[in-house]
Amino acid sequence: MSRLKIFRWRAVAPLLLLFFIGCALWWLFADTIARRESQKVGTQLLGAKVEIQDLHLDLKRGDVTIRGLTIASPHEAFKNLLQADELVADIDMIPLTEKKLVVDRIVAKGLRFGTPRTTDGRVAAQSGDGIAGRVLAETREWASQFQIPVLQLATGKISIDSLDPRRLSTIPAAAALSARADSSRRAWQASFDSLRLGPTLDSASAALERLRHARATDLAALNDGRQAIDRLKRARDRVTAVDRTVTSGITQLQTGLAGLDSARRRDYAFGRSLLKLPSLDAPEIGAALFAPGAIKPFERALYYAQLARRYMPPGLLPRATTGPSRVRRAGENVRFPKERALPAFLLRSAELSFLLHPTSDQPQQYAGRLTGLTSEPALYGRATTFRASGPQLTAGALLDHVRDIPVDTGGATVGGITLPAFQVPGVPLRVDPGAATTQFGLTLNGDTIHARFAIRSTHARWMRDSGFANSTIGDLIWQAVSGISNLDVEARLSGALHHPDLAVRSNLDEAVASRLRAVLGEQVAAAEKQMRDRVDALINDKVGPARARVNEVETQGQAQIAQQRARLDDLQKQLEQRLRDLTRIRLP
Amino acid sequence: MFALIKLIQSLFGALHSEGTPGQLAAGIVLGSFLGLTPLFNLHNALIFAALVLLNISFAGGMLGWALFVPIGFLLDPLFDWLGHGLLLAPSLRGLWTSLYNTPIVPLSNFNNSVVLGSLVFALLVSLPLFFATRWAVARYRVTVGERVRQSKFYRAVTASKVYNVYKMFRP
Repeated sequence: MSRLKIFRWRAVAPLLLLFFIGCALWWLFADTIARRESQKVGTQLLGAKVEIQDLHLDLKRGDVTIRGLTIASPHEAFKNLLQADELVADIDMIPLTEKKLVVDRIVAKGLRFGTPRTTDGRVAAQSGDGIAGRVLAETREWASQFQIPVLQLATGKISIDSLDPRRLSTIPAAAALSARADSSRRAWQASFDSLRLGPTLDSASAALERLRHARATDLAALNDGRQAIDRLKRARDRVTAVDRTVTSGITQLQTGLAGLDSARRRDYAFGRSLLKLPSLDAPEIGAALFAPGAIKPFERALYYAQLARRYMPPGLLPRATTGPSRVRRAGENVRFPKERALPAFLLRSAELSFLLHPTSDQPQQYAGRLTGLTSEPALYGRATTFRASGPQLTAGALLDHVRDIPVDTGGATVGGITLPAFQVPGVPLRVDPGAATTQFGLTLNGDTIHARFAIRSTHARWMRDSGFANSTIGDLIWQAVSGISNLDVEARLSGALHHPDLAVRSNLDEAVASRLRAVLGEQVAAAEKQMRDRVDALINDKVGPARARVNEVETQGQAQIAQQRARLDDLQKQLEQRLRDLTRIRLP
Repeated sequence: MFALIKLIQSLFGALHSEGTPGQLAAGIVLGSFLGLTPLFNLHNALIFAALVLLNISFAGGMLGWALFVPIGFLLDPLFDWLGHGLLLAPSLRGLWTSLYNTPIVPLSNFNNSVVLGSLVFALLVSLPLFFATRWAVARYRVTVGERVRQSKFYRAVTASKVYNVYKMFRP
């Protein structure tokens, strides 16, 4: 029986050959593979195309050199977020055996921001896939929540034909008041009937008649007279009680009449809302003119802040992320951070040198520094910081995800930046801010946001668009702002992240509002009078009869009270006078 | 077409090789790992090396690989579910954390739900697959194997150049 061989020794040579072929292929194509993988991963992370012209791995020294890095903007189709001439990364090789990328230092040269590109580099915006796609969709939805007033004015005759009488509150209020008046009248009549004054008055009249024929010694007649007076007094008390009820009812009806006036004012306001009139309120004008443009920087900053929170979450719990794209299902990669171990990604320090105004004759060079960028801040134990400075730039950011509640703050002031001209929403005007100073600040503490964006320019220029001829409001705003070269816009955002308050103001608000008030004031007043007349015509048919009914019921009630009280008083006076006559002592 | 011819060659080559049914079954089991799990992973390099170096049927390995690739694609949702459940199981968190922070091990991509799910599945089916295949090959050889060996089709297949390459790795 032959012994069973376990190893196939003759296959060792082909296997070694295969291994060496693999090593040779790696040596030949490692740079290309690393470049493609870097592009793929970068694109997936940022939601925008990442392109690298050349990447060289020097594993012996632990260096990676990237030349011609271009990162497209996730928000704008034909614009780059940044370009870099060269990045040299010093990589710690040992952590690579744990599939961890620890970069001790990156030196980035020739960074440029906002450069144009020829192709659309947005990926997340088009596919909506991955973390970047979800965050982009969330921030877009967040930005769409802000209700921005629109400056618009209907051309031609101002129409209020759409005023629906059923939506006026005065008409049902008048009907209700009429019904209440009728109800009060019936109630008061029942009260009068329950007084039963007839027998009291009849007995008092009879007693008075007896007293007229009685002598001073007719004690029975005198007693009858006194008892009749007492009954008259009690009857008057009852009348007084009914009087109080009637007075109270009249007060309520008067309140109802005042309510009709309030309802009329509400109907006027409702009617005014149906008119297309520009707001003449300065804060609303600021929001209408600049809020759409002011929201964009907040939206973009929030996008990057939320991406940072997704990729740099606090805590040490296992985290699942989408796996690598491949022919087979990607699945999910789960990271298992461990205390006192290295994070999966750590950039200890990056030194950045970049250019502002790269296309001008004298581009300005700036320097910045980024430290502690990591996928597991709790392991690194320190916040990520960034700062950059130069003649016209101050910028800084701090991402503190070390504790349970992440805090992200950032701010920048950039001077001398030539901002692109932008369209004023709702009106055919464009404003070119020219060289402006831009300030931006954001604090995201847990789920509370405070942010500020401001532009200040002294060389703003206003331009009319092609549709200008047909725009009344555009013409008015043009008259108000065309001579103003100062532009000072400030937008503030504060409150809970899911529903913050937005306030926008500018130095143009009051100018535009005054101009609109001066020119449109008469037109607005005429339109409002027309609207009030229309409302009055609809509600007066109901209010007039209701008011008359209330007055009639009030008059009737008060008259009945006065009449009954007068009869009682008259009889009482006559009885008292006769008793005094009979009981007066006459001296001889 | 070439892949189909290679598959048929592998099938015949394996079934009629001089190797024992056990060697053929072991090859198919290792090949199933290559087919069931995503190919470009560290564990598959080890599997391939074992397939080449160990005295088992290389043709069986190729056959197992070819047969189990479509099954792997079909069962990917199951692997994803299984791997996800294992990776996020609280009782196993310590094990995964320790493996994840051990040199070399993370290069196996074990922390990917499809990789782990498919690997565990392949391990679970490996023993039943081995015994079932060994029995089936033995039954084939004692029943219809000799008649197939005498057929013109078999002779045509085994006469090709690819078969000569295969013979280099036969057990």
